[in-house]
Parts: sequence; structure tokens; C-alpha cells
Amino acid sequence: MRRNILFRKNIQGRLSISPRFFFLSIFSLFYFLGMAQQRITGKVATGESPIVGATVLVKGTTTATQTDAGGNFAINAPANATLVISYVGHETKEVKLSNRTSISIDLQPINQQLGEVVVVGYGTQKKSTLTGSVSTVSGNDVAKSPSPNVSNSLAGRLPGLIVNQRTGTPGRDNPDILIRGGGTVPPVGSDFGTYLTYNAPLVVIDGVQGRGDLSRLNPQDIESFSVLKDGSAAIYGAAGANGVILVTTKSGSRGKADFSFSYNYAIDNPTKVPDVMDAATFAEVYNEGVFYRAGRNPANYTPQYTDAQIQKYRDGSDPILNPNTDWVGLTLHHSYVKNLNLQVNGGSDRVRYLLSFGSLQQNGNFYGNTMLYKQYNARVKVDIELVRNLTVGANVNAIFKNGDYPGGGNGGNINFYNILGANPTIVGKYPNGLLGPGRLGQSSLLNDQRGYVRNNSTPIYSTFTASYAVPFIKGLKFDASFNYDFGSDFNKDWQIPYYYYEYNTGTQQYDKKQGTGLANAQLSDNYFRWNSLLTNVRATYDRTFLNNHHVMAMLGWEQSQYNNTSASATRRNFLSPAIDQLNQGSQAAADQGVGGSAFSSSTNNYFGRLNYDFKSKYLFEFLFRYDGYWNFPSGDRYGFFPGASIGWRLSEEDFMKNALPFVNQLKIRATYGETGNNRFSSDKNFAFLQSYFIGQNYVFGSNDAPGIYSSLLSNPTFTWEKAKKMDFGLESLLWNGKLGVDFTYWLQKRRDILATRNLSIPSTFGFPNLPPENFGEVNSHGFELILSTKGYIIKDLTYKVSGNIAYNNSKVIFLDEVPPARDYQKVTGKPVYTGLYYKADGIFHNQAELDKYPHDANTQIGDIRIVDLDGNGKINADDRYRVPYTSVPKYVFGLNSDFQFKNFDLNIFFQGQAGVRNYDDRAAALGETDFTNATVWRATDRWSPTNPNGSKPRSSAYQPGNTTFFLFDGSFVRLKTVELGYNIPASILQKTKTLKGLRVYVSGFNLATWAKEIKFADPEFNGGYFNYPPSRIINFGASIKF
Amino acid sequence: MKKLIGLLIIIVFFSCKKNVLNVEPQDRIAESAVWGDESLIKAYHNELYNGIPHGFYIHMYSKYTDEAYNSAPCCGADIFKLNTFNQDNIGGAGGGDFWGGYIYYWNQGYTYIRKIDVFLEQMGASGSLEFSDKKRLIAEAKFVRAFIYFNLIERYGGVPIVTKSYGLSDAASVTFKRNTFDECVAFIQKDIDEALPDLPAKYASTDPNYGRATKDASYALLSRLYLYAASPLFNPTHDNAKWQKAAAAAAVFTENADRGYTLYPNYRNLFNQNSGASQNEFILTRNFTSSNFQQAPAHNLGRRYGAYGGWWASNGPTQNIVDDYDMINGEPAFTWSGNTKTINPASGYDPNHPYWNRDPRFEASILHDSTVFHGDLLEMWVSSTSQQFGYDSWKQSSDNPRSSYWIRKFMPEVQPISFAEHYTIPWPHFRLAEIYLNYAEAKFELGDEAKCREYINKVRARVGMPPIAATVTGQALRDRLYNERRIELSFENHRFFDIRRWKIANVIENRPIYGMDIFLNQTTGVKTYTPVLLLQKNPYQDKMNLLPIATDEIKKNKGTLEQTPGW
Repeated sequence: MRRNILFRKNIQGRLSISPRFFFLSIFSLFYFLGMAQQRITGKVATGESPIVGATVLVKGTTTATQTDAGGNFAINAPANATLVISYVGHETKEVKLSNRTSISIDLQPINQQLGEVVVVGYGTQKKSTLTGSVSTVSGNDVAKSPSPNVSNSLAGRLPGLIVNQRTGTPGRDNPDILIRGGGTVPPVGSDFGTYLTYNAPLVVIDGVQGRGDLSRLNPQDIESFSVLKDGSAAIYGAAGANGVILVTTKSGSRGKADFSFSYNYAIDNPTKVPDVMDAATFAEVYNEGVFYRAGRNPANYTPQYTDAQIQKYRDGSDPILNPNTDWVGLTLHHSYVKNLNLQVNGGSDRVRYLLSFGSLQQNGNFYGNTMLYKQYNARVKVDIELVRNLTVGANVNAIFKNGDYPGGGNGGNINFYNILGANPTIVGKYPNGLLGPGRLGQSSLLNDQRGYVRNNSTPIYSTFTASYAVPFIKGLKFDASFNYDFGSDFNKDWQIPYYYYEYNTGTQQYDKKQGTGLANAQLSDNYFRWNSLLTNVRATYDRTFLNNHHVMAMLGWEQSQYNNTSASATRRNFLSPAIDQLNQGSQAAADQGVGGSAFSSSTNNYFGRLNYDFKSKYLFEFLFRYDGYWNFPSGDRYGFFPGASIGWRLSEEDFMKNALPFVNQLKIRATYGETGNNRFSSDKNFAFLQSYFIGQNYVFGSNDAPGIYSSLLSNPTFTWEKAKKMDFGLESLLWNGKLGVDFTYWLQKRRDILATRNLSIPSTFGFPNLPPENFGEVNSHGFELILSTKGYIIKDLTYKVSGNIAYNNSKVIFLDEVPPARDYQKVTGKPVYTGLYYKADGIFHNQAELDKYPHDANTQIGDIRIVDLDGNGKINADDRYRVPYTSVPKYVFGLNSDFQFKNFDLNIFFQGQAGVRNYDDRAAALGETDFTNATVWRATDRWSPTNPNGSKPRSSAYQPGNTTFFLFDGSFVRLKTVELGYNIPASILQKTKTLKGLRVYVSGFNLATWAKEIKFADPEFNGGYFNYPPSRIINFGASIKF
Repeated sequence: MKKLIGLLIIIVFFSCKKNVLNVEPQDRIAESAVWGDESLIKAYHNELYNGIPHGFYIHMYSKYTDEAYNSAPCCGADIFKLNTFNQDNIGGAGGGDFWGGYIYYWNQGYTYIRKIDVFLEQMGASGSLEFSDKKRLIAEAKFVRAFIYFNLIERYGGVPIVTKSYGLSDAASVTFKRNTFDECVAFIQKDIDEALPDLPAKYASTDPNYGRATKDASYALLSRLYLYAASPLFNPTHDNAKWQKAAAAAAVFTENADRGYTLYPNYRNLFNQNSGASQNEFILTRNFTSSNFQQAPAHNLGRRYGAYGGWWASNGPTQNIVDDYDMINGEPAFTWSGNTKTINPASGYDPNHPYWNRDPRFEASILHDSTVFHGDLLEMWVSSTSQQFGYDSWKQSSDNPRSSYWIRKFMPEVQPISFAEHYTIPWPHFRLAEIYLNYAEAKFELGDEAKCREYINKVRARVGMPPIAATVTGQALRDRLYNERRIELSFENHRFFDIRRWKIANVIENRPIYGMDIFLNQTTGVKTYTPVLLLQKNPYQDKMNLLPIATDEIKKNKGTLEQTPGW
């Protein structure tokens, strides 16, 4: 209480709201009315054209209004008040009334691209004088995409950022994100996920590095995305080598409360579901396989499916015993995404606030499946100028996520094997409506009977800031931020016995059978609790000397700690599946299981930046971080990471201004920086310490004997990877934005890459997994180009088009590679994470061809013909060659265009990739013994005795290893987003008195795809197509401002 | 104002720690703690036993040979099904469970050899912790190492003998060379000799220590070791001295009142009792508990039980092995001439009733059409019009083995069959019947056919099979001996190695794999039995008698490690 009194005393006369009022209800803020005194009217315009929706605020109060369609406003204010007039993209003006009651204000637009402020590490910089390679996109642009996952909307928007959506499962559809491709290599043999971990960019949300849930932010809350790609990421030290994604959320703006409300309803379909074979084709293909496996000897050949059966599959005359099941049609349907947003935004000149609430609901595309993802986002952001020079703020974001997924022991994922791979000759649903077993008794239609997997996660991200401008030293400012994030995940896996029916040919009845899996219910509960603390303090000094010498210096310190604890419990053999709680499970010791663990990590570091420019013409920047990280041997935990850059704005030179007056901006720049990478996978935790885990027990007698084991040999000299980055850039803006060019060429050298010497250390040593050692070397390079233009086609029809393309390529310099048998197999000299493939050259059509070409002993007619690369007349592993492409594209591009015609606006956005390959093992399989269905694409024109000129391999074809026959070029262009909107004219709105804006729109996501080779499935998959395809979304929405 | 700044400073001050980077691990134990703590040393030692492969991985070795038909088209297993394994792809069969069941044992074997070497070094180090049963633990570790080496040499022939734990810094200077097969045999003998004095003779099967190394387990290992060493693959000159060693090694049991072991009277039940049950035939087992369990029944049986015997684990016994069970009168059902087999008229085999009057081990080991199992009548038939089929037929579900047979050995008779169940039936590494057959084989090769027949007959007598007549001699007796081993030790991971060491794999593996089509004429109720060819394997090559070492491993050894001959 005492504090409240003090508080009031201190702010008396300064803050126009009482603390009690503030504490009672933050929502009450915008009801505050200042001391009304006299009515002021006026008009806001740019030259002759009125500005609609400009904010007019009485300085020092919350009294504000907006201009109407004619640019006019009316407001009550004291006679000696000052009005603050602001409008997006325009300068902000303060006008003293001096007893005037009518004024007109001219607001000049600021050249957006030049005046734009860009968020960089620990601060902001003007885009015009920026020297680093930073891509940005505004939150509003991203929010145009109806994808429920923000990250998926980033594809193609930020040059240099590679975003690949590999799956569409609601709530689990986070894309793979890389900046400038893969600059480092994970240890040999790592899976793709580990590759991504090692190359993962750092995500910084509102100044906090490593904050999660980038994909789960409410797009309406986001002010901007920035991507630091070059040496300027050195300010993030050991975490910056893979680039940094900076997300800044919106703040409140001055003026009366603005309410905005939007509602979206979207229909969601898979982009592309592979066409799989019908029953008759499947049976024919399978029989061919049987024939080949019987040695192509008709005497030994007993077909699996008789001709009579195949006829029945074809004509559908026997839907019980010889059905033609369309699993895709039976299982998949469209789903919906519902999205609601409410935002309030306003403030006085001392207090600004933003309250936001968003709700998202998304269900799965399946019949018979419990899949529903719900997400709620709530954010409160308040900035208060407590006293002169001291501003404090709080930004709290709570996210509630709940995903319900089908049970059945598949982690909640829909097993597409049971849909796309299901044998079409098995009944899915009998004609009387009973459900059949499906593939292996696991028909996807039965999933809703099998329990559920529930992922519940409730993170809260909070930031508290204070900023103090030292009054007695001009230009000196202190900033501190204290961030406390915490959350808990609760996962429940409830598996219950399920049932299906099988037609008994003997009794002619439908027998109810219990499905595979558990005979009695089983529940696993998994609790995961975490918290993260980050504190930082910065001192900034920003001053211009002698009119021309601008200096900005910043020094900071930061410390972070992270802890998590997990506990899990399982009980089996529930008496009844009626109640899904642990205490209902069997009491027997053997039916219970518990587990748990804990983990902590920490960082401590110092950082700084010095900027100097002369007349905004000659630009210089130096930055550094002295970074300490817990996961290195004691004594070697700190590293120094410097960066420097220079720039020259030729457009500021008089000779340029005179000679080429149409050049608004021309800047050349170069940066150099050294950053580190500590983003290795969690199995490398404590890699410097030889340690043992408890586990791998054995049994003596009838009892478990505990075991301990080591999974990794220690490396006492373990340290971080280092990246040296160099960028050269040219930026120019001509004819007031009619043409913008931004080109960057970059080089990167990675050294001390953590690699394991798997390649040269025989297994005979018997080492546990080898530790990462710092010896790998990779170079990479690439470029980014942005071209933009804007203007108008006819009066009132304006356009803004921006295209970008980015290229990246990497080259392994050293990885301790044992010289392979052939040079073309070398890892060294090739891009990272490439694989070995046999080179396919069509197929063997007949015996003559088979005799003529070298082939493997197991190769038969109808198999893939493999190029004898080493020319030794034999086909063996030496004939595999390293294909210099991976499923991470070398080229990504985007084309964004905005059109405006009167009250209509249209956004069209294309995105795509090239220089990418994907090996699809599912596409390769056909007619194998395990009855897996395959694509129509694969079966069409396959070689068979009756189709000797076929272009595709036979059923049950043999490959000695992966061949390029099924290594597809994954290039595509997508129509990623289209939005067509209509703003109800202001003249109509005015009549309502309350509405400030009403907009209706339709939008689409992933509307069309043009794929180069992968036409049978979504081209963005990594690996086989048995995966939840990304969504195509058609969205209808409306937003209201009042 | 000042107070606010003060508050801020306090927050900052309290939220930072000086040695924030010193993070102690909370989920693991530092090595320094391990060797000074008796409990941790014992836990390290317990884990060493995991290095010995057992037979209850998802893929049992029966499908790698002519015991079972494998339809899984993936991962480790199918390169053996098709005989397409080679040095380039065999590394893919080097994992447990689905990834081959450690048939390519190189990496797993040497990983555990190093663990044992580390253990022996730590225990032998001066100043190492002393505790009461340290000597026994060392002896057990040596036994485990000997067993691991045996597992290596039965696959690869001679392998490098590694007795020291190397560090990463040794990688540049140390290279490995294969020792000869005989050197490996001698090394295994040496480890056993060193272990024997500190090992107890045996543990009863109900003893809490049952499953640990014993003197008897050591002798049983030596018996198998010397039998293999004397076999044609490793003894091409038929050196009788080697056969004598094999005979002597088995005689440790047979000439010493079987060291107290007895054949369990009920062959079927021998393999379906849980760990800890009373029996006196198994010399060493891998036991299981409800928390450290096996799931062989759920993997190997059919759809009726929600099991994956026709698909995932796909371990359907073949017609080939079914035909090799004798008739109850003691006669083989078929006789072979080259690669053609004909019904042996003396046997009374009736192709219209192929399951009648067979060796009782057939019913004990294999489930077939019209068997009653767990109270269910198994129905593998298909109607002659294909319009109806039994619930257990391959037509009903691809979970039912195409061969129309399911494995019964190791399958519980009482415990329900389901993936939710945790099975604890032990895996027998050594049992008395094997020693008998080892002895019979050695004696046969040494010319003592009477002794050979005597010990085969002991094995047959347990299941009530008539003895092998004294008139069966020479090659005919050898065929019966080989077949006895195939039948008695079926599905126990012997066949894969036996046909190789006998050097008959080139015949056996080139024979097609058959299953059985059982057609039911629904009007007459008569079933007809038609063997159906399921798989013609790729041609067997003699080099396949020993497994190749993965190409990568050869390369990593920089030319010092020789590839297996022929590869």
C-alpha cells in the first residue's frame, strides 16, 4: 500500500490515470476522459488530398480521435493544449493550439523504404543506414496468409530464409526452417531431423533468444520479422552462426481505444493426395510379383488372385469378399479452420497498451479420427512513462494449446500406411455399414475407437522492461529487461482395445473381433515443466556531434538460465476403459511404470555495438559478443565473436545528387563477422564429460538386474563451431520507389565443425558412439536479390510488386573422409548432407539388353538399368555416385504483388524452390510381398511380359540400392497466398457513427502447385509420401474496427 | 524514482549468479563415480550380458534359412531371405529387432568386447575397489567375452582378437588384422580356462542367479565351439584330432552323468515355461521378466491373436521343415535323391493327411490347420471356389503366414496372446539335447556310429520316437543325424549356422521355399493339400557360408582387415 501512495505522489500531475484505476481494470483505460474544455475542429491532408483515419491526440491525455473520410476531425481540448497528429507512413506532427479552435495540418509522407526502421540484435536501425544483411517483412503482410501456422506463411517472404512445410497435421505442422541453407554438417549417419537441429537458426522473440512457439504466435500480434543472415549475427555470439530470426510484437499506439475484431472460416483440403491403385490393378501387379518370385516359371506359379477375383474387383459384384476399397475416399474429407481475433489498442502519450486475444480451431481431414487442435493466444502489452525519462513496460503472452489426436500407439499421428498403403482388396466398410479390419487390423476408420493422444501445452512468455534516459548526459540511455518464461506440457496417451468386424465365410456372419494392440486399456501421462530466465542490461549512447558525426554505442550484459523437469507414469491393464485416469489402472507392479528426468542449462555473456556515420554517408559498425556457454569444459566456456561492417551511401554525395537525381538511395556495403554454433542435438549434452546412464538392464533368475551404459565417448576438448561470414551488398531505390534493387553476395567459412570420425574409425574399436570433435570444415556461398517496383496502372489502380530469389550452396572442405573407392563418391567437395545413388538409365526391356550391359547378379528383365560408372563391367557399390543435391533447396524464390483499386485490394503471392532432390522410397515400391498399395503413377507403364516396352520397372523390382530413378527433382512453384479484400467506404461507415472500418475478404493458401517432377504427391515432402500432406486453405473472413 | 531504480538493480542483482555456467548433470552419472561404487560396478557388469544375442528379436534367424518363409520386404531380413546380402548391404542387418536381429554382429560384438575390456582393466587396476564377489564377476565377464567371440567366428571365421580398450587417441596408430580361426578358438579356450576356477558349477533354474555364467555354461560353449571347429567348413581336411576335441568337449557332460542335467520329459512344455520355472535341461538361458520381456508370440502368431506372423515379423514355418519331420514309426516321410524328393513308402506318409502320425515334435513346434491352440480350432483352409476361407488362412489376412503354418515352439499355452502381454519364456542358449547331438556328431565323424545312434536315440526317446535302426549307417546315418538336429533344435537359431558349417547350404538354400495350400471342398468336407512354391531364392554362392564384413568397415581399417574369402 505504501508503494501505491508513493507511486501516486510521484506521478501526480504527470500521469493522467490514477493507479487504482489502473489496477482495477486495465480495460477501463480507454474510457478515460480528459478535462474537456473547448471544441477544436480541423482537417488533416497531404497537400490537397485528405488523410482518412489519421490519429489526433491531445498531448498528455488519452483524448484522441480519428479523421473521417474527408480528413476532418473534431476534438475537445484545453485552449493551450498540444495536438499530436500521426498517420501510418507519414511524419508525426505536434501542433500547439494557442487558443485556435480550427486548424489544418499538412502531413508529409515519409519515404517508407528509407524511413523504415529495422529491428537488429539488441536494438533498431534505420534501413537507410543499415550495413548488415537483414531481410524484413511486416507482420501485416504475413497475416494475409490464412495458414494457421505463422511459420508456414513465411515461405518466400524473406529472401535467404528457406521454409519447407513437410507435414500438415494440425498443431504439428511446423516447417523446416533454414537460413541460407545448411552451413554445417551433423555427424555422419544423422537423420534429417538432426541435420535441421545443427543448422537451426536462432529465434529471438521480443529480445529473448531461444524463445519457443514462433509458429504458434498470433499473426495479428506481430509487428515485424527480421532475419539476420550475415556477420551482424555476431552479436548473438555462439548461437548466431545459422542466422537469427527476430520477431517483434506490436505495441499500443497513442489515441483512443481502437477495437478490431476479425473472424475467419477456412476450408482445408490436402494439397495433393497420391492416386493409389484400385483393387483390380493392385491384384494384377501383385500377381506379377508372385510370378517373378517363383522364378518366372509358369509351372511354379500360383497366382495370389485368380482372374475371376480380379474381374470381381473390377466390376464390384462382390463387395464383401472381393471389394474394391477406395481407402482415400473412405478416409479423407475436408476440414475447417476457425479463427477469431479481438484486439484493443490505444493510449495516451504516457501510456500505451495493446490487448489481444486470438482463438484458433482446426480439425483433421479424416473420418473416424479424433483430431482437433485448439489454440488460444492472449497478449497484454503496456508501456508506461512512469516519470520523465523512465519508461517501464510489460509484455505478457500466454498461449494455450491443446491437440487431440487419434490413439492407437502411433504417437497421435495418422498412419498413412493404413490409408495410402492399405491393400484395396480388403474391406474398409462392409455394405451393411460395419467397419472391417483394414490393413493389419489397423484401418484408419477405427482410430476413434482406440483412445487418444492429447498434447496440452500452456507456455507463458513474459517480458518486463525499463528504460531510463539519463537526463544529465545527453544521448545516454539505460535499458533493462527481465524475462521469465515458463510452461508445462502435459501429454496423455490413452490406448483402449478396439473392435472391428470380419465376415466369416463359414457361418456367413460378421464376427466381432478385437483389434491388434492392447487387450486392456493403458494410460501414459507425461508431465514436462520448464522455466527460463533471462536478464539483460544495456547502456546506449546515441549522439550527433558537430552536426555530422553520428555515434551510437551500446554495451550490454546478459545471463540466462533454463531448467526443466519431467515425470511420466504408465499403467496398463485397466479394469475398464470407462475412466481415463491413472488411478483406475491395474495395481500390479508389473503393470506400472514411472520415469522422469531433469535438465538445466545456462549462458552468460557481454556484448556491444559501435556505430559511426558521417552525414549518414559513410557508415561504420563494429559489434562483438563475449559469450559463455555451459556445455563446454570448465575453463573453456567463453568465446569472443566480433563483427564489423562498412557502408557508403553514394546517393548522399553531391555529385550523385546532381548527376543522377532520380536515385533516392544507392548504398554499397560489406560486412565481416565471426559467430559460433552451439546448436547441436541434445545427445551431445555434457559431451566433454564421460558419463553413464542408468538403463539397459538384464535379467537373472526372475528379476531385473540394473544396468548402466555409456552412449557416447567423451571429448574433453569439446568446443563450438566457428563461422566466418562475409557479405557484399548493393541497395538502391530509384524514381521514388519505381524500382528497388537489393543484391547481396555472401560467403561463409565454417570451421571446427563438430563431426564424428565415424568415417575413419573402425567399429572394431568397439567405441560407443563417437564424440563430436571440432575438425569439420565447410564453405558456403550464395546470393540474394530483391527487385521491387510500385506505381499505378490507371488512376486509382495502384500496384506494388516485389520479387526475391536466393541461392545457396555449400561445399565440404574437410570431414576426415576415408578416400572412397571412387572419386565421384567423395563427400569432400560436395554440398553437405548429400547421399550416394546408383545412376539409373531406364530399364532392361529384354534379355538382349540384359546380356549386353553389366548388371548385378540379382537383376532381371524389367529392373532398372544401372550405369557402370567405373566401367569395370560390374555393378556394385562402387557405381554409386554422390548426387550434389538434397531435399533442402538451393534456390528459393517468392513474388509478392499488391494491387489496390478504390476500396478493393488484392494480394497475390507466389513461392517456389529449385535445385532440390527427394528420394521417395514409397514411390519405388510396387507389388512387394507385404501387400502395400502403390501409386497409379508407379504402376502405369511398368515393365511386364505383356508390356515389354514399359518405361518403369517391373512389379517387385530389384534395386541394389537407392537409384536415381526414384530421386525426384523437387522443384515447384506454388500460388501460396491470394487475398482479395473490400473495405466498406468511409462514407457509409460514417453513418454508423461507431464503425471505423469494415473489411471483408477471401483468401487462399497453397492454392495451386506446379511441380517439375513430383506430380503424384506434394512436392515438398522429405522422403516417402506416406505423410500428412500440407493444407490447401480457402478462407472467408471479415474484420471490423470500432 | 530512485527507489524504482533501486528495485531494478535489486532484481538484476538477484537474478544473476556468478558461476551460472557450472551446470551439474542431473540425468547421468560421471564416470569417475562408477568405478568407486560397488553397486555401479555391478550394474556395469550386469549390462555386459546384453552383448550376447538371443533369439527373440522381431526377426528370428529361422526366416534366414529354410525353417520359415519371410515376406517382410525390408530391412535386414529380406537380404537373407533372397540371398542378396553382400558387403555393401549387410551393414543394414546389424541392429536388433527389426534390423536383422544382430545377424550382422560385428559392431554389436566389438562394442561389448570393449565394454568387457574396460571392465577387466578397471578391475585389474591397482587400487581398484575390492568387494566380495569380484573374482566371480571377472570370471563371468571372461565367459561373456568368450561367447561373443564365438558368435563372431561362427559368422565370419577368424576375426581380430581385441583384448585392450583403446581410446580415441589410439585411432591413428592402431590397426586390426584378422586372427586365424584357430587362434580365435584358442583365445576363447583361454578365456574359459581363466574363468572356470571362479565360476560356480551351476545354478538351479529357480535360483535368482540363474542366467549367469557357470562352469557348465562354459563347458557347453566349448562343446559347441569344438564341434564347429571340427566341422567341414573349418576343418576341410577332416582332421580327426579336431573331431576328437569336439567329442571330448561334449563328453564333459555325456561321460560325467550329464553333469546332473536331464532331458525334460515334455518337449513341448520345455519351451513354453516362464523364466524361473523348474527344469533341468537348459544349461544357460536368457531370461525375461514382465518389465524386461520378449514379444515373440505377438510377432509370430496370426491375426486371430492380433499378431504379425505373416507380415511384420513374418515367420511362417515352411513346408520344407514340415516335410522333414519323421513319421511316428521312425521313418522319414520323404527321401531325397539329389534335389527331388519322393514319399518314403515305408513311412506310411499320407499326402491327403499330411499331419497324421508325425514325430510328436511336429505338433510341439508347429501350428497347422485343424490344430487346437488356446482353445481355438485353427483354420488355414480356403474353399475350392476361393469364396470362403478359414479365419487363419492367408486369404483372410496378410497377418496370417502365407505358408499356412505358425510357429508353436516358445509360444505360451496358457498366457493370453496379445501385444499387450509381456512374455517371459526364456531363450535357451545351451541345453542338454544339443550336447547329445554334438556328441553324436563328433562320434559319427570319428567312426563310432553306435555311440552316434545311442545319443540320437536318447534325444528321440524323450519324445517317444523309435530309435534309429542299427542298419542305418554311413551317409544315411549322417543324413539322419543332420535331420535330427534340424528337428530337435528347430527355431533355436542353429539351422542357419549348421547348414553352413556342414557345407550343405549350397544345396539347401537353392531349394525353393514352399508353403501349403489347403483346399476344402465344402460339399464333401474333404481337404486337399497342395504344396505351393513361395520363393525361389537367388542362387546361393559358397562364399555365403561366412558372412562378409561391411565395405565401410574394411575401408576404415585402411587395408589391414581382410574381407571374408570370396567376398
